[in-house]
Amino acid sequence: MPAASGSRRRPSARRPPPRYEPAATPRPGLVQAALAVVGVGLGAVTALTITSETGAQFTAAGGVATFVGSLTGMVGTYLAMVMVLLVSRIPFVERVLGHDGLLRWHRWLAPWPISLLVAHAVFITAGYAQAARTGLWHQVGVLLRQYPDVLIATVGLGLMCLAGSISIRAIRRRVRREVWWSVHLVMYLALGLSFAHVLAIGPAFVGHPLTQAVWWLIWMATVGLVLGYRIGLPVVRSMRHRLQVVEVRPEGPGVVSVVCSGQHLEKLAVSGGQFFCWRFLARGMWWHSHPYSLSALPQPPYLRLTVKNSGDHSAAMATLRPGTKIMIEGPYGTFTRHVQQHRRVVLIAAGIGVTALRALLEDLPRGSQPVVILRASRQEDLVLGSEVRALVKHAHGWYHELVGSREEVSINGRTLRRLVPDLDRRDVYICGPEGFVTGVADLVRWLGIPAEAIAEAIHHEAFAL
Amino acid sequence: MKRSPAFIAAGAITGFTGVLIAHAGARVPLASGSHPLAGGSPGSSASAGASRPAAPAAHGGTGAGSGGPAHTVVGPGVNFGYGTIAVRVTVAGHRIVSVRVASLSTLEPTSQQISYQAIPILRSEVLSAQSASINAVSGATYTSEGYDRSLQVALDQLHA
Repeated sequence: MPAASGSRRRPSARRPPPRYEPAATPRPGLVQAALAVVGVGLGAVTALTITSETGAQFTAAGGVATFVGSLTGMVGTYLAMVMVLLVSRIPFVERVLGHDGLLRWHRWLAPWPISLLVAHAVFITAGYAQAARTGLWHQVGVLLRQYPDVLIATVGLGLMCLAGSISIRAIRRRVRREVWWSVHLVMYLALGLSFAHVLAIGPAFVGHPLTQAVWWLIWMATVGLVLGYRIGLPVVRSMRHRLQVVEVRPEGPGVVSVVCSGQHLEKLAVSGGQFFCWRFLARGMWWHSHPYSLSALPQPPYLRLTVKNSGDHSAAMATLRPGTKIMIEGPYGTFTRHVQQHRRVVLIAAGIGVTALRALLEDLPRGSQPVVILRASRQEDLVLGSEVRALVKHAHGWYHELVGSREEVSINGRTLRRLVPDLDRRDVYICGPEGFVTGVADLVRWLGIPAEAIAEAIHHEAFAL
Repeated sequence: MKRSPAFIAAGAITGFTGVLIAHAGARVPLASGSHPLAGGSPGSSASAGASRPAAPAAHGGTGAGSGGPAHTVVGPGVNFGYGTIAVRVTVAGHRIVSVRVASLSTLEPTSQQISYQAIPILRSEVLSAQSASINAVSGATYTSEGYDRSLQVALDQLHA
């Protein structure tokens, strides 16, 4: 193991990039095809439910309510499957939509499957009650007592509502992230509990082998993708690369760089600007994983991440001992050169956002002539500044530091136009805390830059699921 | 990503119409003259699940009612999804003289209740139509289908 103080290990801007497998290019066409397939499934299950209904059933007592219940159950469960797939970290999807983008879709879609499934329970109960000419509450008892699969599925629905309600923003804010995460995992269980009752007594399924086959197919595909990509792939990657901590190096007040070593890092296929979810197998840290960007491209056998002390976990990073093993998930993120549309770029970062910027800078294609703007409150907060400056010089770009409090120095329209005269012919990459990134992104949009030319990376958001 | 709703919607419409078209092409009406069971063995629903195929027993017996010996056949147990039903039919001459349920087993009490309510209606329909071409009972579609299939097979054996 190398000695602790080797400046020769600091990733140098002057060295040519080492040979390693470049990250796979994102293919939007594949994702569009996948979206179409999801649409086909949705249309098919809806049609299967409708076509399995006969006029006689519909006009019988309770027929309408049972049909509505059948339809809401079908669509609700299908959307729940989609929810699960959205966060399964399927690589070709993540490369295009991004880890954060997928989370946004997941949160946006969330109310629908839960509401549809609750409606399903209500309508089915009402329909059966009308058919049997009993009261609603009596029918609830009948359903729960006489159909064992329904009892299990009802428990599942209750768990789903509980797990769903803890994710409501107002409640999630008050709960520790580890608690929220453990409760949210119960969603998998809730879904699994519902499986049996559908095939056993679902009106669209009984006596309809095609619908049953489609249902099995959807479930098996979802389970396979989750096991393979959400669980399997990260485990295989961690075992293949066997990362461990080599050195923890201070970079500035409250900021440390962690250098790690591993095997086969040339196969890691990372793009500059991407992040991993890191799980350090040390006491007190092993049971949660946090997202941190690489602060330089991998230089096999070494990787580097740079972390700012802003919470329990990041503070504990400074106390990591060499030899600590690491499990990783990733690489994730679309803050890369692959989204670049123009030939030239401007990179803007504040605070610890410089880490992703520094890695991206190293990965930019030739001819980018980057304008780099680093924003910090104090000079000593500008970590990695010397590296960034050297890389900018090497790329024939322009380097600007905006140091001072927010009242003294701010990024506004005048500043931007002065520093970046050809702003409308450059891609804009913005990285830093949430307030900073959204503020600058709004400003850039207001200056007339189209949304496709803007890439944002927000740090310290609750990225990971 | 841009235009993602369009792709999802396009897929949904395709899937929806595809299933509708496939369904319209494959649809077979219940209890019509060209019933798929006419003269054949029971369909797939009879082989899946718990079906109790009963050996058709033809009994010679004294003529009952309208002349000619009465023959009784028990149709196969047909799995109608919520249970299994087998129908025993007695034909004398060319008249269906009696039709009773030989065996009925259901998954749970609600299906049993529905079947009990439907069976007398089905019986009177068969006796007045004198064939298996009857309408299903509202709210007991599956029982009606199973009843009809079992009856049809029994009748085919009697006529053959």
